Amino acid sequence: MKKRRLLSTIGILGLLTAVLFTGCSSQPSITEGGQLELFLGYSSDPPTKKKMEEIIAKFQTSHPNIKIKTETAPYEDFYQKLTTQIAAGTAPDIWQSDGTKVFGFAQRGAIRDITDYVTKEINKDEVNGLEFNKDADGKYWGVPQGIQVGALFYNKDLFDKAGVSYPTADWTWDDLKAAAAKLTLDANGQNADDPAFDKNSVKQFGFTFFGSSRGAFNILKAYGGGVLDPTMTKSIIDSPENKKAVEWMADGMKRRLFPNPADLKAFQSNFKVFLSGASAMQIDIYAATTAMNGAELNYDVAPLPKGPDGKRFAPVIANSWVINKKANEQKVRAAQEWITYWTTSDEAQVEWTQVGEAIPVKKSVANSDKFLTNNTKPENKKVFLDSLAFAGTIDTNAVFAEWVKVFTDNLSELFMDKYGVEEYIAKTDQGIQKVLDDFFKK
Amino acid sequence: MLELEKQLKAQPKAKKRKWLDGEGRWGLLLVSPYLVHFIVFVVGTSFASLYFSFSDYDILNPPKWTGLDNYEKLFQDSLFYRALWNTVYFTLLYVPAKTFLALLLAVALNQKLKGLKLFRMVHFLPVISSWTVIAYVADAIFNQRIGFANAVLAKFGVAPQSWLIDEGWVIPVLVVVAIWKSVGYMMIIFLAGLQGISSELYEAASIDGANAWQKFWRITVPMISGTTFLVVILNTIYSFQNFEQIFVMTGGSTEAGSTGGTNNASLVLMLLMFRQGFSFYKMGYASAIAWVLFLILLVITLIQFKLQKKWVHYD
Repeated sequence: MKKRRLLSTIGILGLLTAVLFTGCSSQPSITEGGQLELFLGYSSDPPTKKKMEEIIAKFQTSHPNIKIKTETAPYEDFYQKLTTQIAAGTAPDIWQSDGTKVFGFAQRGAIRDITDYVTKEINKDEVNGLEFNKDADGKYWGVPQGIQVGALFYNKDLFDKAGVSYPTADWTWDDLKAAAAKLTLDANGQNADDPAFDKNSVKQFGFTFFGSSRGAFNILKAYGGGVLDPTMTKSIIDSPENKKAVEWMADGMKRRLFPNPADLKAFQSNFKVFLSGASAMQIDIYAATTAMNGAELNYDVAPLPKGPDGKRFAPVIANSWVINKKANEQKVRAAQEWITYWTTSDEAQVEWTQVGEAIPVKKSVANSDKFLTNNTKPENKKVFLDSLAFAGTIDTNAVFAEWVKVFTDNLSELFMDKYGVEEYIAKTDQGIQKVLDDFFKK
Repeated sequence: MLELEKQLKAQPKAKKRKWLDGEGRWGLLLVSPYLVHFIVFVVGTSFASLYFSFSDYDILNPPKWTGLDNYEKLFQDSLFYRALWNTVYFTLLYVPAKTFLALLLAVALNQKLKGLKLFRMVHFLPVISSWTVIAYVADAIFNQRIGFANAVLAKFGVAPQSWLIDEGWVIPVLVVVAIWKSVGYMMIIFLAGLQGISSELYEAASIDGANAWQKFWRITVPMISGTTFLVVILNTIYSFQNFEQIFVMTGGSTEAGSTGGTNNASLVLMLLMFRQGFSFYKMGYASAIAWVLFLILLVITLIQFKLQKKWVHYD
């Protein structure tokens, strides 16, 4: 009898511990030393993780009342974990959000409206890109952690070989196409302007673009068109400006000046066409310089070309600090101290600039030798800062990933000659509006 | 016969054991780690996903009950039918071809050959490789620009094909690679089945003058029909659940959610579910897809069990 009781006790205890382990543990916000514990999350790779840890250590020295506990992982893993943590109410108090996800978190009620803090405590004249986290109602949802701006990357060796002069700030998209034709070569080395050019054996492309931020979105904008209206709830695809821009792209694809989706696939990665020296130009963002320097390309950057009416557009992704909606007031204040430190202290900004991962958010550092150094490529880094003058977000909202999928999938079909421009416009307009209505009209 | 049944029924039933007496309790205790895992992570999550499938759930906020909304939307969604057809098409090519090939390989490697173990190992090697590795190897063959397949075609003057981009080619190519990756596993199962057949049967057939082909059809095939049945069921389930391969081999864009080939030509149900749930934050809708997928698999498996009476022999 005794044995039996013992056994059932063990069994019940076992079950209980199992249940306990699956439950969540709450964390006290004040540590033993009387410090406030701030839980901070960011995505990283080994070099950015190391640098972030150094900056955090410096912050803690100057802010002895705050102790930062971190959570970090590579990009995909970080966001997957973050999503479940938000659901479980155990997400960090503050995290670094990909610029394309800020409005998604905001519109799903996961982050805090920080308009008050931003307007009162952050000086717009000193910090780059604050307005990129402002929604149509004028609310601020994040403060930039690092800025990505798009520019035209070009391979100097290929330009030199073809005897074509480098892109300038005056280029229009038609100028780009004319240069691309001279830089597109077939197996016999004939360029695309040559009557003997063989479209079926292109060995070098003039210009590569793909996806949204590195692709068609920018061209639509420069032509005076776009994808979403300022409220980000309505598709404006069906416009004469967009039609002209899409025709420009489809023509380049037909002439084989630009690699189509099948060509990109053949290179295993979209980035590899330019990286392997098989494309003379490509749209990319500042972060791409790391891989290009790694590949030892001889390249530089120019501003993205103008549209037919002189309009300019450069895409921006402002990766930002956002604050958990569920964080208590004490933690919110600590989080704001961290953001203020990040954006205003030279110490943090100079350190982070050294990783070469983003354009610094503090204007004085961005405009200094620390960023504009000639020691690393591209030489003309100032292009990124100049482009901020005509930069805009890539219409990020709560259903960004979903509408981009419709937009780029349909473009792929257009570029693979599955249908024409008119059908593309109609199908995409309808498809994107449906995605928007599914979310915003609920 | 009837008499016997009556007699059996008339016998007093054996005393029913209380399930929680001594031994039962020990048993329960010993399996409890597994039971806890099963209840929390299998039964629990299944019921949760069933509930989510009737709700609007974006992961970040608590689910809101919406009744049959997700299912209604699902049955009106042209992408769902596209994904369903792609999945069925994949299965129709994959299951018969792989089962047949696995049997063929097993019969070949059941002979007394020199270097038999080496051959068996070679066929099993892809099974233990990760899909990322396999995708690279497959790319060496099916890459449009530098692949082996197009190089061979070029020798015969045939234009290069864009294997994984072309809507007509993508699924057959995926099936070929999937078979190559996993045929070794099924081959092992068949080998086990083949080794269970008594050699006396073949000897007797030889004495009666049967040739190799007759022996294969009249002895081997019926004798391993139980194994074949198992292999067919496993293959069917696997092909409905295929995700990793299609995700790895027909991805490509860096922007979230862009997988599934040109015009969704390789979008299968698992991929649609992943995309809706994890890229688009529509976990309710994704759960509905999961349950429909489960029901489809259940029905197919039940049909296979019904049909087995016609062709499967157990000794």
